[in-house]
Amino acid sequence: MKKAQIQIGETIAVLFVFFILIIIGFVFYVNVIKSNIDIEKEELSQLRSVGISQRIMFLPEVQCSEDNIIIDNCIDILKLEYAQSVMKENEIYYYDLLEFSDVSVLQVYPDEAKWSLYSRKTDDFSSRFVTNVPVSLYNPATRKHGFGILTIETLFK
Amino acid sequence: MEILGLAIVIVLILVATIFVVRFLVLKSPTDYRKGFVSSELASNMLNTFLKTAAKDCSQLTITELLQDCSQARSITCDNEDDSCKHTESIAKNVFTQTLDKWNMQYEFLAYTDPKSPLIKLGKPCRAEKRSKIFPIPITTATMYTKLDICG
Repeated sequence: MKKAQIQIGETIAVLFVFFILIIIGFVFYVNVIKSNIDIEKEELSQLRSVGISQRIMFLPEVQCSEDNIIIDNCIDILKLEYAQSVMKENEIYYYDLLEFSDVSVLQVYPDEAKWSLYSRKTDDFSSRFVTNVPVSLYNPATRKHGFGILTIETLFK
Repeated sequence: MEILGLAIVIVLILVATIFVVRFLVLKSPTDYRKGFVSSELASNMLNTFLKTAAKDCSQLTITELLQDCSQARSITCDNEDDSCKHTESIAKNVFTQTLDKWNMQYEFLAYTDPKSPLIKLGKPCRAEKRSKIFPIPITTATMYTKLDICG
């Protein structure tokens, strides 16, 4: 074999190794970028979940008020019962606000009771968050407060 | 000499890989929800609890029962419990169905003097905690209710 042929062989071998390294580097880079996108997607889903929870906590359809003054962290039981049917009838409007989520209110004290406020779920979700918020359940008929839990389950594709 | 060059290149690639793995691949998502949930939980839990009306005690609120508990203890509820005992049993009932159910450690205290609390539920937090103190006015001084949620 001539010297020139050996050098060509060497160059091809070096180029082969070089391209293998480039491919490995590229695959690694793509995986890193993919994992970063997943992390950002997860963080964004969390922020959206917090946003939906806050929207529900301050929903005028169920919020307590006395002399037109809104009471924070309080749900009016009478409003809640009516809001259930209103939200069912206007599902598309509430989907814009609450997306894929399940909202229910559970009275813990004095007696156990449960209301399902909104439910639109999907089986095709990638992240799911459940937020429990203690709320006061106001009965305008007796003017007394009970202890309840507002459970907000949010699902994201 | 060529081998030395190759060794340097490999070392540089290794350093770069370790750097990328440490800062990019092992990066965990920031838990934005945790801050929101724990801050809402401690304050809402206490606010809501204090407003709640006791069904077997003339519909008095927990705040009113605690005020009596720290002073005369003149209120006797339908089940013959005094205000302190009744408040403690309601608190136990509520926390069992909420914080205990969600596997959250907590400490609930109602006191005028922190060294001798009138009501004490749960265990003290060993590390990080979210705390909420709510003052309640009484004739002689001020009493406090405090809820620590651990983690």
